[in-house]
Amino acid sequence: MSVYSLYIFDRHTECIYTKRWTDRHALPAIRSTAGGALSNGSSSTANDIPAATRRAMKHSDDAKLIFGTIFSLRRMVRQLGGTDDQFLSYRTGEYKLHYFETPTQLKLIMLTDLHVGNMRTVLYQIWATLYVEYVVKSPLAPTEHASGVGVANELFEGGLERFIVSTM
Amino acid sequence: MQVRTGVCGGARQPEASHPNRYRRRASPVRLHATGLRVSEVAAMVVFALLIINKAGGLIFNRTFAPGLQKLDSNDYLILAGTFHGIHAISRTISPAPPVQPLPGNRRPPTTGIESMESSHFRLTCFQTPTGVKFLLFTSPEQPNTDAVVRRCYEIYGEFVMKNPFYSLEMPVRVEKFDRALGAYLVRP
Repeated sequence: MSVYSLYIFDRHTECIYTKRWTDRHALPAIRSTAGGALSNGSSSTANDIPAATRRAMKHSDDAKLIFGTIFSLRRMVRQLGGTDDQFLSYRTGEYKLHYFETPTQLKLIMLTDLHVGNMRTVLYQIWATLYVEYVVKSPLAPTEHASGVGVANELFEGGLERFIVSTM
Repeated sequence: MQVRTGVCGGARQPEASHPNRYRRRASPVRLHATGLRVSEVAAMVVFALLIINKAGGLIFNRTFAPGLQKLDSNDYLILAGTFHGIHAISRTISPAPPVQPLPGNRRPPTTGIESMESSHFRLTCFQTPTGVKFLLFTSPEQPNTDAVVRRCYEIYGEFVMKNPFYSLEMPVRVEKFDRALGAYLVRP
């Protein structure tokens, strides 16, 4: 029963908050020299970009892919079920994606493993008791969080950690 | 469809200490042969089946019960292509920690979307080992959607694959397949 990551996208389709509890792009261990002969050609080009930058690029790619996926799925659900139909969640063989959208078009997306049930109430609570309390009501945070400014403050992060640890 | 009347499920005999006015009036509730209420059975519906080939093109599309919006064939083609792409992306964004490699250094295969929930319907996607995807649209209460979609796959294997005149990856126009599917999925 574990939560893998949480993403928040605002109504300008920008990712304003990311939180990962597992890193799937972790740096691989040093390869032995026996297998090094074949991978030498590919690794020389890959070493031009430092590993930390590559990981950052992969993480931002993840956020963009996730947004694209839920945008298309939302459109598909609206087309099939009518304009009042809402996309709720999907499940693959490895993970579940839960989606919650507020009336202000703020999108909360949580990726968990397969053993969790319906996380809609959890996402609603994260929005109502943590985001609204610590981000929206914060006098220092701007109204529009361009590139995530003002969202990742200490109260919100701490509250989120405690909330996730207590629910899991 | 067999129907038998029965007392409301859950009506218990009143205890000796309770006065008679707390006793629930037993009203006959129509029960389906499976033991569920008729209204519950009516809600479990299969709306539609779509089959997508390996390249993402729609090869079969049929609606069995009303409940989804009416879309024309072009829209279904676009939907199939979109879902094919989303299925592939959902495989790559998997956040699960990497699993131990199998003996022989083969990576275990990651799977794409298997089931999707919305407020009005549930989509079950079954991908065959050859890359053909079966999309089943049902009501959210429908149980055993994976058993239903596997039965559709069996019917497909029986009437489409074994048909000597069917060309692979082409639109399915096999009458026996339509009839068998209708017998299985359309409720009288």
